[in-house]
Amino acid sequence: MVMKKTSLKYFQGIALILPAFLFVFFILFLPTVNTVIMSFTNYSFIKGESTQFIGFSNYLYILKDDEFLSSLGNTFLFAFVTVFFELIVGILLALIINRSFALRGVLRTVILFPWILPTALNAVVWRWLYNTDFGFFNNLLFSLNIISQKINWLGAIPLSMISMMLVAIWKTSSFMALIILTGLQTIPESLYEAARIDGANPIQCFRKITLPLLVPSILVALLFRSMDAFRAFELPFALTQGGPAGSTQTLSLFGYRQFFQFLKFDTGATVSVIQFILIFIFGLIYLNIFRVERE
Amino acid sequence: MKPTVNRFNIQAGFYLLVIFLVVLFFFPIVWIFLTSIKTTGDIYAWPPVYISNNPTLQNYKVVLLESNLGRFILNSIFVSSLSTLSVVFFGAFASYGIARVNFKGSNIVLVFFLSMSMFPQLAIVPSLFLWFRRLGLINNYLGLVIAYTGLFLPIAVWIMSTYFRTIPRDIEESAKIDGCTGIRILWHIIVPLSIPGLVTAGLIVFIFTWNEFFIVLVLISKNLLRTATVGIALYPGEYAFPWELITTATFLAILPLLFLTFIFQKQMISGLTAGAIK
Repeated sequence: MVMKKTSLKYFQGIALILPAFLFVFFILFLPTVNTVIMSFTNYSFIKGESTQFIGFSNYLYILKDDEFLSSLGNTFLFAFVTVFFELIVGILLALIINRSFALRGVLRTVILFPWILPTALNAVVWRWLYNTDFGFFNNLLFSLNIISQKINWLGAIPLSMISMMLVAIWKTSSFMALIILTGLQTIPESLYEAARIDGANPIQCFRKITLPLLVPSILVALLFRSMDAFRAFELPFALTQGGPAGSTQTLSLFGYRQFFQFLKFDTGATVSVIQFILIFIFGLIYLNIFRVERE
Repeated sequence: MKPTVNRFNIQAGFYLLVIFLVVLFFFPIVWIFLTSIKTTGDIYAWPPVYISNNPTLQNYKVVLLESNLGRFILNSIFVSSLSTLSVVFFGAFASYGIARVNFKGSNIVLVFFLSMSMFPQLAIVPSLFLWFRRLGLINNYLGLVIAYTGLFLPIAVWIMSTYFRTIPRDIEESAKIDGCTGIRILWHIIVPLSIPGLVTAGLIVFIFTWNEFFIVLVLISKNLLRTATVGIALYPGEYAFPWELITTATFLAILPLLFLTFIFQKQMISGLTAGAIK
């Protein structure tokens, strides 16, 4: 009787989970496996020749491609700089929101907006702000006589990259802030009281208590953000199209173009796999630091 | 006296910082709205017109009645609603299974789901495109909904199974004693109790599908079928760039999100940070 009941439950569990599992398996897992296989073939969307396995040829080819290497460099630069500044702004925001003051609710809602809005439309919003002839920034700076010539925010190197980074930092600092805030709220108030009695000033409190205890939340936030920044696609697509002269082209945008502009699915797949491996390595590094921290 | 003055200064400085941050984060959205109610002349005027003297709803009329832009927003409403229903439906069953039925693999399944959601889209989309093309699912909302169901099930299952685990098992046990079984327990007892969890998951999925860009870009090539993100971002032709219409459409497309954020702030924060915090 008991046996029968358990086996029924087991069956029920599988029946409940199976439909969702199939979706995830066929929409996320198998396509990725297929792309990995594609990266070892000479599959092309246009040419009708039979597809053959060619080993690592695509990898050797792409690793010598200048445009690929510069996209890779752009991606590292973009991820490193944006995540660094997001962390600084995020800690600042979290420290502010953690206090109680009159405008707290307003600030907390307002910092959420950029993060909740679609990246592609954020890019459109900022493209309008950055517009050379009629954009807000140039209009303001020009009419205040701060600049005498209009700035080409998205059309000059290296300014375009900096402009793009600003949008990313504006959008995602609040995510950092929220993760760090949950970490802040677990720090017991008694620690600060004890420190104050011992005569510690606020800066000492921050350096000796807050920061060390925040390390786990900071690592989690860094992990998620850097993996995300490394995949950046919509922002360069909708803000600069990767220009000027490929200076804001990220790995994802380069890969997308290999696939859907040049229809070179073999090299595109190779870019996907390289990106995948790099993200995976990121994850492993963070997990390792995390484990060391815990011990 | 002196300490009071000092404290007053610190307080004033703090509030100035807060106001600066509020403006910094909110300004781009305000600016889009201010542009959308300007006349075309005011938008391109010199000296610049920051706040219109004669605000107009003309742009809204054109966007909604005379351009494709209104259509993009309708498409978004349709696709996001259907996808949300689909994800919450399949996700609720799976989450209940993971949370309740004692079988060894349930945690493995959860970890599998979560690790899948880390896969970069650049690896997923091309194969999906090739397969969906063969199945006739390109330029087809059924294809889009299927893709979104797979893409956003992991986060929904994560949110919902965490929630289901907070519901005490005793409730089901007593229902069983009263003669209630299987699906009926799920439908009549668990679902009503888990409304908050389902709402959080539904909200997050709705927002994610509303914001999604890459998959629409690849699976939908007919302009009229595009959703708001891709439709608006690719709106202008090569030469003309009607900013008065683009800002208006952008504002209309983000308005639902602003409302949702305002009303469901708590659920949103808990749902969006769910993957990162647990």
